[in-house]
Amino acid sequence: MLRRLPYRVQIPLGLSLAVLIAAVLVTAVSAQVFSRSARAETLAQVDRAVALVIAQVRPMLVADDTWRVFSLLRDTAGLLPGAPLGHARLAVVDVDGRVFAASDPLRLETGRPLLGEAWHGAPLPREGVTRSWRASREDGSVLRLDPITSDDGQTLGYVLTEIDAAVFGADWPALAGNALAGIVLAVALLLPAGWWVGQRMTRPVERLAMLIGRIGREEPGKLRAQLPHTADPELARIGDAVAQLMDELERRREAEERALSAERLAAVGRMTAAVAHEINNPLAGLLTATRTLRLRGDANDVRERTVDLIDRGLQQIRSTVTALLPQVRVEERALDPDDLDDVLTLVQGTAERLDIRIERSLEVESALRVPSAPLRQVMLNMLLNALKAAGEHGRVETALHADAEFVEFSVANDGQPVDAERLRTLIAAEGGRDPQGFGLWVCQELASHLHGSFVPDPSAIDRTRLVFRVPNREDPASPS
Amino acid sequence: MRRRDCLGLLAALAWPAFGTAAESGPDRTLRIGLTPVILADQAAFLTRWAAYLEERCGVAVRFVARESYQPVLDLLLTQRVDAAWICGYPFVLHERDLSLLAVPSWADEPLYRSYLIRSRRLAPDIQGWHDLRDRVLAYSDPLSNSGWLVAQAQLSRAGLSAGDLRRSFFAHGHRNVAEAVAAGLAHAGSIDGYVWETMRLQGMGATDDTDVVWRSEEFGFPPLVTLRQPSHARVDALREALFAMPRNPEGRALLEALNLDGFVPGDASLFNSIRLQAMQIPDSGVQG
Repeated sequence: MLRRLPYRVQIPLGLSLAVLIAAVLVTAVSAQVFSRSARAETLAQVDRAVALVIAQVRPMLVADDTWRVFSLLRDTAGLLPGAPLGHARLAVVDVDGRVFAASDPLRLETGRPLLGEAWHGAPLPREGVTRSWRASREDGSVLRLDPITSDDGQTLGYVLTEIDAAVFGADWPALAGNALAGIVLAVALLLPAGWWVGQRMTRPVERLAMLIGRIGREEPGKLRAQLPHTADPELARIGDAVAQLMDELERRREAEERALSAERLAAVGRMTAAVAHEINNPLAGLLTATRTLRLRGDANDVRERTVDLIDRGLQQIRSTVTALLPQVRVEERALDPDDLDDVLTLVQGTAERLDIRIERSLEVESALRVPSAPLRQVMLNMLLNALKAAGEHGRVETALHADAEFVEFSVANDGQPVDAERLRTLIAAEGGRDPQGFGLWVCQELASHLHGSFVPDPSAIDRTRLVFRVPNREDPASPS
Repeated sequence: MRRRDCLGLLAALAWPAFGTAAESGPDRTLRIGLTPVILADQAAFLTRWAAYLEERCGVAVRFVARESYQPVLDLLLTQRVDAAWICGYPFVLHERDLSLLAVPSWADEPLYRSYLIRSRRLAPDIQGWHDLRDRVLAYSDPLSNSGWLVAQAQLSRAGLSAGDLRRSFFAHGHRNVAEAVAAGLAHAGSIDGYVWETMRLQGMGATDDTDVVWRSEEFGFPPLVTLRQPSHARVDALREALFAMPRNPEGRALLEALNLDGFVPGDASLFNSIRLQAMQIPDSGVQG
């Protein structure tokens, strides 16, 4: 319960509890000491009272003056502890052992035979006692008999004194009252002091906790300046640890910033390389087209087809560049089956150089509504990668399939098989180190952008078949 | 205050006391012997009464206190006081040497009774004098009629002697008798009925713990007396001042504090019953 409270409450409460426990223990010890000293003091008082009675009572006894002896005993007993409550009594006993007078005549009746008789369960000595006789009973009460002698040694009578056990007991209610007053006073004084001390003690801890809570949200340098300075070694250690933590965090933040900067630079590099790659891809085909135009441009149909090819190639480059500019929407045309032929024409030079035959399959069952630029980019990248993967004398198969739901373009090659894990590795590879990765990375990004997929066909055995599949919509990027 | 004032003058009825007073003084001082229990408030009452009497007697008045009858009687017989308030028994004992100055009147009569009282807690079975065998009896004073002489006569009549009592003692005053019996120091006590009734009237605790079990015949009230000699003018003035007390407010207030009606001349015959009773007691000192 206490441990769940904050330190600024725990410490004063703990102090108060300590005061309470200390006061109770001190009271208990005091009561024991008081009880012992009170008993000794009471017995000393009895000694003095008996001496007084013996000194005063002799002439009264000689004069046989019962009334004056009674007055003396009544007044003297009043000085004994416990007398007001009837716990102490004095009596003068005559030489015959009978009560001459008593401070409490109702208990010690005048004329009653006493010496040699049982009194409160204990036998009293017979007459003839010449020295003080004392008995401490089991219950703690005290009984004593003191002879009264004349100057010449004649026994005139005896003083009987009885003090009940209650007189010697500690006055627990009074002690408890005093202890309670002391406790209340101590708590009243110590509680505010405890609160003040607790606040002072816990303020650095509280500030540390507050600073720790702000770590990560505020500047570490600014927070370090607010670290509390304390002489307490433990708190100083905590403060040092927090400062060290802030230093580590600052170093880590700087490292992250450097890493981010490097990443940005790398991304810029990758993007530049990708753009160069995307622009370079159709350029090879366009250069071939210009050569064709130069060599066979006299023929009208060749010239027309070649100029159209050059025009679409340039349009693709323009679209690629435009795609890099955010917030610029270019009027896109939908994909056309001829786009596949264009792309095949663009890679034809590369295929011939590698002596690779490209087989083409076209199954368009529904109108194509996907944008042409990204699809041409994807087809060109996938074909160039497939040619590279197939190697010399390899074989590449392309297929464009469209229905009302999806447009799917796949490229298969008989090079080293690529599974999903290998594809992820190729895509994740730095473009600078693996140019092959750029095309595939662009394909995956475009598939993600068009809410489609770009995965290897798991059913392809001993070959690689990559499948690019997007919804057949005008704007696949927006959900239907 | 009046309750305690009263007790101051109950002394005149044989109450023992402590304290002294100068027995010699200027010739023009009127000295009156009393047996009061000297307490501060009683001293204040006596101061007021002395001032009252001085104003009327034309001389200084001084009360001289002694604790029992005998010393006061000695002072009177040796002419060291002009008057003394004593009991009827010492009056009849020294009748040849004394003359009545004034007799207090209580309940319209200069008479009073003796009571036998018992301790309510210690001896509730005592019904009369015959029950006092092997009991402790408290007397007031050896020269007190109600506090000793009556008790001797009644014990004799009950067939008891001093030896039949377990113990007896003098308490040096009627008030002390009441307190001794109330405390249980004595089973029973012989006491002045006027004193006991006045204590009860004033609500004093001792009467709550005692019961009256017997009342005597009426006796002459304890009188103020002087030596039998030619009267002195200042004594006559004192007598007149005492008789006149009921006739003025201050005097009535003083009498009310004493629980008395006033003072009357009285007559020696008032004390015949005491005289007869004393003659029946062998050691009384009164002879026929």
